[in-house]
Amino acid sequence: MTSLEESHTQTITRKRASALVGTTAAAAMLLAACGSSAPSTSKVTGGTATFAEGPGANPNYIFPLTPSTNFSVDNLAQFQILMYRPLYFFGNGEAAGVNYTDSIANPPVFSNNNKTVTVTLKHYVWSDGEQVTSRDVIFWMNLLKANKANWAAYVPGAFPDNVVSYSAPNATTVVFQLNRSYNPTWFTYNELSQITPLPIAWDRTSLSQPAPKPTAANLPDTTPSGAVAVYNFLNKQATSLSTYATSPIWSVVDGPWKLASFTTEGKAVFVPNKSYAGPNKPLLSKFVELPFTTESAEFNVLRSGGGAISYGYIPVTDLSQKGTIESAGYNVTSWIDFGFNYWVINFNNPTVGPIFKQTYVRQALQHLVDQPAWISTFLKGYAVPSYSPVPLAPANSFADSSSRNNVFPYSVSAAKSLLTSHGWKLVNGVMTCQSPGTGATQCGAGISSGETLTFNLQYLSGVTATQQEMAAFQSAAASAGIRINLSSGTFNQVITNAAPCKPTQASCSWQMENWGGGWEYSPDNYPTGGEIFATGAGSNFGNWNDPTTNTLIQATHTAANGQAALNAYQNYMARALPVVFQPAANYQISAISTKLRGVTQNAYLNLTPEQWYLVK
Amino acid sequence: MSIAESLNPDLEGGAVAGASPAGGEVASAYTGSAWRLTMRSFFDNRLGLIGLVMLLLLLLFSFAAPFVYHSNTLVANYSINLPPGPGHPLGTDGNGRDILGRLMLGGQISLIIGIASAIITTIIGTLWGAIAGFFGGAVDTVMMRIVDVLLAIPTIFILLYLQTIYHPTIALLIGTISSVSWLTAARLVRGETLSLRAREYVKAVRVMGGSRWRIVYRHIIPNTIGVVVVQATFTVANAILILATLGFLGFGLEPPAADWGSMLSGGVNYIYDGYWWLIYPAGLLIVLTVLSFNFIGDALRDALEVRLQRR
Repeated sequence: MTSLEESHTQTITRKRASALVGTTAAAAMLLAACGSSAPSTSKVTGGTATFAEGPGANPNYIFPLTPSTNFSVDNLAQFQILMYRPLYFFGNGEAAGVNYTDSIANPPVFSNNNKTVTVTLKHYVWSDGEQVTSRDVIFWMNLLKANKANWAAYVPGAFPDNVVSYSAPNATTVVFQLNRSYNPTWFTYNELSQITPLPIAWDRTSLSQPAPKPTAANLPDTTPSGAVAVYNFLNKQATSLSTYATSPIWSVVDGPWKLASFTTEGKAVFVPNKSYAGPNKPLLSKFVELPFTTESAEFNVLRSGGGAISYGYIPVTDLSQKGTIESAGYNVTSWIDFGFNYWVINFNNPTVGPIFKQTYVRQALQHLVDQPAWISTFLKGYAVPSYSPVPLAPANSFADSSSRNNVFPYSVSAAKSLLTSHGWKLVNGVMTCQSPGTGATQCGAGISSGETLTFNLQYLSGVTATQQEMAAFQSAAASAGIRINLSSGTFNQVITNAAPCKPTQASCSWQMENWGGGWEYSPDNYPTGGEIFATGAGSNFGNWNDPTTNTLIQATHTAANGQAALNAYQNYMARALPVVFQPAANYQISAISTKLRGVTQNAYLNLTPEQWYLVK
Repeated sequence: MSIAESLNPDLEGGAVAGASPAGGEVASAYTGSAWRLTMRSFFDNRLGLIGLVMLLLLLLFSFAAPFVYHSNTLVANYSINLPPGPGHPLGTDGNGRDILGRLMLGGQISLIIGIASAIITTIIGTLWGAIAGFFGGAVDTVMMRIVDVLLAIPTIFILLYLQTIYHPTIALLIGTISSVSWLTAARLVRGETLSLRAREYVKAVRVMGGSRWRIVYRHIIPNTIGVVVVQATFTVANAILILATLGFLGFGLEPPAADWGSMLSGGVNYIYDGYWWLIYPAGLLIVLTVLSFNFIGDALRDALEVRLQRR
């Protein structure tokens, strides 16, 4: 292992959303490209590469207008993007940044004091023979506008609310008129980055209807009610996992790959899309994604050799086996993504929501997370702390001092002190509210006398480090008089539970959910956090509702000095604690077959098997 | 009351029907009470004796040893996966907790759940089987078809389904395991009842005007005790295995509670690291416990089954 590898390696945690951009500074991430260090041999055309999916994180949503319950890396960056290309592709090899070469559109042109944005398309075609046109972008926009509440990336006041109008003056041009001036970087990285052109063949409301042609008039998406009907139809089709590979809908693709088969367990077999008109046409004849329920299951297959996995990962608990894996024909290297890690707390839970709304309670919880010890003990050093929503890794210029320093270091006594000074007292080992009320030394609004600090926390199963972290937190919390009831669930179970909700809804009974990977900034590549912390945002899973946060986020979208606004935002969020921050582990310690070349580990976790090839 | 009396309250004296003396040694046993005969037969069974000793040791290990061996069994810390050594005779687990202490804790839970499940299973199975067997006809058909249907559903499916919709607790585990274990007991008791209901003393009670419920309660059920007790011991072993399976699959008790199956599962994560202390002790205890109950069950069956007794 090279020193560079040692500094980066590890982990298996999954980010909830797929990655993308960062900034120019984020491009500083340089991962050891072990694949290129192996001796060169003859290149093979064809062959099969297999990629190991994260534990319990199998793709389960194909429609690229994704709701929050399915907004995950395994759906967006490692599944949808293979078939349906976004307007802008992010990641230049292993470096961060927008990749205009691999994008469907040319760089956007901002005019009219940054209130008008013009996008021109390159020549791409759908697999049904139709050209990718501006009408396809309009189709996506129409669906979004009519169904924004169902979109995980929706931020009230932002996309599409801030778009006054959009039009397609010709087949390759789309013009967006904005309601005010916006920071072009933010608009490109967080708004245009969200768009995925959709084929007009999808513009229908039932499978029995013939696929419409782009030239057809009065297609249903052109009216709000029609767009709702089309969305409902496509969403329903997307929940029918067993039909993914055979569906006349999903078989129309413009990306380098199309599905040959798909199982409900998440095994996806892709074959090259012969109509793909973009760069980097696939060299492999087949690309396979394999599902695993636990990291141990994946590692057993990896370790057994035989080529069942071309591109897998080593769990942090099995790092001692690195030599064995290397001798079995793998290069081992880290995959670091641009994100931060946290677990979400439900402010709208009718029982414990009022408790979570107390800042001192959240501060007490944060005091019980021993990030340095978790990183050194459970993650073997392959992680960085998360002290705010702005990531520390890969190295970037976004994070300021408030994101680099721990405002709430591990301290059980500090946690207890915060609680006892606000009207809580240990009764039978559990902090119990003795002084209800809204005074400075009282429990706070909505908390009645006798209520206890008892919370349910569900975490990702199948990942040892996450289990260890949660057990450590449970013990620390118990020392402070907070009872944590732990349970575990698969990645998809956890992210489905952790959905935005209203207190009156039955689905709002969850209290704390930890899917293990926090947030990967993609397609919201500029880390302003609007998607996850703005009031009413589609991925504001915990229902955080804070006017100050909204103001600070809005400032990052429009301020002339974007970094100053971002500093104000992260400084506030590091103290407001809308979530419980925890260490951000490297995305994974990859084990890549020495026979598989051309692999680049995208900073936003996008898979690019079209660039891979096998050697003899 | 002797066991013979308890088996058949209408029987006067302590002789076991059908038994006859054969040889001096057996004659001596025959002259004793049925209880002494049973006990002697049991203790003559070496495997049964070994099983009993093993069980007593396991009970001491699980319930008495924690009073003299104090350790951290619940609080997670950063001394993870320490090998056996001073302070931790069997090392620590992936959460820094003392394995020996957690084995004791897991033993308590395993035995409590196993025995409680066996009791519930025995009560339900005995009543169900006795009623079905004695009343016969449509009652028997309906009751036993219910049993057949439930037996046709894969046990693991029922267990996992129940565990996923409810938070696992000791009570839930007992209920869950009992819900799938009483079926076998019901079948056995029903078969025994079919035989018993044709006996003369049952007919005599009928002639004397005894109610059907009295016959079931006073005569049928007591006479199935032998079958029931033997089945109960196997049920304990089976329940402990089910618990271990659930724990191994991640559906055991919620952390930081300990059960042997979950401990075994946690150890498997480190199987390539050579952390044997995470795997062997828990696995060994599961084997020993199940084995002890099986030995005891076999010996009890031999002792209680008249046809297998020496004459």
